[in-house]
Amino acid sequence: MKFLRNIYKKVHPHFAEGGKLSRLFPFYESVDILTFWTDEQTKSGPHIRDSIDLKRTMIIVLIAMIPATIFGIINTGYQQALAMGISQGWLANFWAGLQSYLPIMVVVYATGFFWELLFPIIRKQEVDEGFFVTGWLIPLILPPTIPLWQVVVATSFGMVIGKMIFGGTGKNIFNPALVTRAFLFFAYPGNISGDEVWVKAADGFSGATPLAVPAAQTGGDAVALLNGFQQFDYSWLNMFIGWIPGSVGETSALSILIGAAILIYTKIGSWRIIAGSIIGLVVTAILTNLLAGNSTNTMLTLPAHYHLVMGGFLFGTVFMATDPVSAAYTNRGRWIYGFMIGFLTVIIRSMNPAYPEGTMLAILLMNAFAPLIDYFVVKGNIKKRMARYAK
Amino acid sequence: MTQIKIRKGHSIRIAGIPQKEVITNLSTAEVGLCPIEYQYVKPKLLVKEGDHVEIGTPLFFNKENPDQKWASPGTGTICKIQYGLRRVIEKIVIKLDKDGKGFSHKAIALNATAKLKREEIKSVLSESNLWLLIRQRPFNNVANPEDEPRDIFISALHTAPLAPSLDLVLKDQKDALQAGINVLNELTNGDVNIGISSNNQIEELTGLDNCKLHQISGPHPAGNVGIQIHHIAPLKPDDIVWTVNIQHVIILGQLFLKGEIDPSIIVSVGGPGAKNPIHVKTRIGSKIETVVKDQLGDDEYRIISGDVLTGRKVEKDDYLGFYDTIISILPVDFSRPFLGWIQPGSSKKTYSLSNSFLSFGKKLFNFTTKQNGSKRALVPINAWEDVLPMDIMPNPLYRSILACDIEEMTQLGILECDEEDFALCSFACPSKIDVGATIRKGLDIMKMEG
Repeated sequence: MKFLRNIYKKVHPHFAEGGKLSRLFPFYESVDILTFWTDEQTKSGPHIRDSIDLKRTMIIVLIAMIPATIFGIINTGYQQALAMGISQGWLANFWAGLQSYLPIMVVVYATGFFWELLFPIIRKQEVDEGFFVTGWLIPLILPPTIPLWQVVVATSFGMVIGKMIFGGTGKNIFNPALVTRAFLFFAYPGNISGDEVWVKAADGFSGATPLAVPAAQTGGDAVALLNGFQQFDYSWLNMFIGWIPGSVGETSALSILIGAAILIYTKIGSWRIIAGSIIGLVVTAILTNLLAGNSTNTMLTLPAHYHLVMGGFLFGTVFMATDPVSAAYTNRGRWIYGFMIGFLTVIIRSMNPAYPEGTMLAILLMNAFAPLIDYFVVKGNIKKRMARYAK
Repeated sequence: MTQIKIRKGHSIRIAGIPQKEVITNLSTAEVGLCPIEYQYVKPKLLVKEGDHVEIGTPLFFNKENPDQKWASPGTGTICKIQYGLRRVIEKIVIKLDKDGKGFSHKAIALNATAKLKREEIKSVLSESNLWLLIRQRPFNNVANPEDEPRDIFISALHTAPLAPSLDLVLKDQKDALQAGINVLNELTNGDVNIGISSNNQIEELTGLDNCKLHQISGPHPAGNVGIQIHHIAPLKPDDIVWTVNIQHVIILGQLFLKGEIDPSIIVSVGGPGAKNPIHVKTRIGSKIETVVKDQLGDDEYRIISGDVLTGRKVEKDDYLGFYDTIISILPVDFSRPFLGWIQPGSSKKTYSLSNSFLSFGKKLFNFTTKQNGSKRALVPINAWEDVLPMDIMPNPLYRSILACDIEEMTQLGILECDEEDFALCSFACPSKIDVGATIRKGLDIMKMEG
């Protein structure tokens, strides 16, 4: 790698102070540090440090998303083939899926890195690595059929309004990937509202998403409706494995759980948030099941284990609710924050006729409430200490 | 005897653990004292270059509190007073006489030390100018002779990386230790609390009188006196407690038993950069060069007076810190591995409290001075909370200090904290934030506001 180092050495003067391109120094620096790990030495504080840095934490999240990504790409191709009535091998499915997925991913990263570089250059800061994860997340939570120009507009919105204006990675209030999706959801509901499936196929192809199936009928039994659905196989097992239409990364509960295991083992994702939101979802679903007899709302009859594998819940709770920056940062707060996400997801899904899916809104709402939760947890700690002082 | 179990924290598996052997034939020609080492002290010199001083002679006093004077660590001639920027006194160097006398006092039998009156003890401490042996919490600065401490705490449990073995330190010192405890017990209306290991094998730490023993188990920072205070009897807002290093209790005991100042201490020399990690018997304020003799290779090294988490970077011509009993030597590594941050990692190359590298096992690790990343905004993945065994919320506290919110800092317990207890937080932080420095900043603000 000496060759590359020598190139850097040669171009360095241009980017250094006084050079022709000195304004672009953050760009040079980020490329340099990405290729060769920094040799920065400890100056203040402990003289030795843990090997982990922010780049590493980001890359671990990315690795955790790889099973869901690969499965999602294959499934995209599979759904496409299914819609066109062809049967093909998984490699062909992967290839077909990649053709829809890759353009979205390239566009997202290109747009994102543009903003990620522009702001530090203007602010004369170091470029940080926050967009690795955001950029990987966005294509996974978008339908494969999304028009690319919308991706550009939404990613820009998510990056600038969701993150950059607050100061960049570590300072945002909302998860930027979710801001991106929410923008699309409200600005172009025709493409991403959540009741119609998204499969790239011949014109006029349509079908209901699993969550829209029980939502569409009153007075029925949700499980029976799902199992009796003809167009797609909406049995519990199939939804758990993930051979159903949906956003690229969200369909397979199995591959998301593999990712969750990676995040929890490496201690980078908060198990408290994941556990809290699953408990919240299960408890709330049981409550709605108990209430179902008094209502004609079919969604109320949907059991907890179905809620768990349907829609974007697991993906959202494992990869987006655990974003440490926009989540609650106290341990007790994380439990409450997680629980409320599970609770709100079920409530929005079953009580709100306009939105069949509720995870995205639940997480965004709890992002907004996270500081308040932390505030009360901190006050609780203070109260405990004051009581001890008074003794 | 109470049992305290500490669960959070981490004992760093650093290579270069000192062998259980003491080298005693090292002699230092010079000793030094660094006034900048002491928190919240405005030193005013009492000596000038060329003066002859005896051990125990005051070298300078604190302008803010003239009762606090600093004893000379040796008998000899002051050969250099070095000033830094803005005429800060960096070090006072004393060239030692061949065999010098010094402060002397009548020797007291061990059982008589328990009967000394508070005023007698205070006057001996003031005459020998050794108040600096005793520090106080909050703030971790030199104790004020005027204060009446609620309790006194001594940690007889070393968990810091590369710390000296206590059995070597305490060997044959039981009388001195007991005398020191007797004296300290008279200085407080409360208790002398000593934290010892839960599986204590050291004979000298058994059957001690005039103190309360607490058995403590768990990883570092369980041995930090601040953590022990927090678990034994936490500080309340107006409390002042005193703390004394275990080796300084022995010096204090000798002061009364023998009637003279014995400045010898046992220092561990270790770390991945040390050729022959070992214990060294030397004296307070020794020149670093004499202590690290034959330890360094030809590469670049960083020498640290103190442990690798909280110590101070020193050069060969600096002097051992007054409160330090460890010299750590780390190699300096400027290599830049290609795509290093995505390497899978191995137990040879990476060391992390998170499981984000493929490094398994409990092997000792060759740490270097590399930071392994650059400073970033705070991303709270619980790295701090997992290594802080206190009922303190580090993250909200950190934020309140940055916001200079004095009321909230107080409520969150800033006065119970010291920067050394947060060193592991900085070690584990993925954003490479120096949490301890911020805690110190918070304490500074509190001190300024009174």
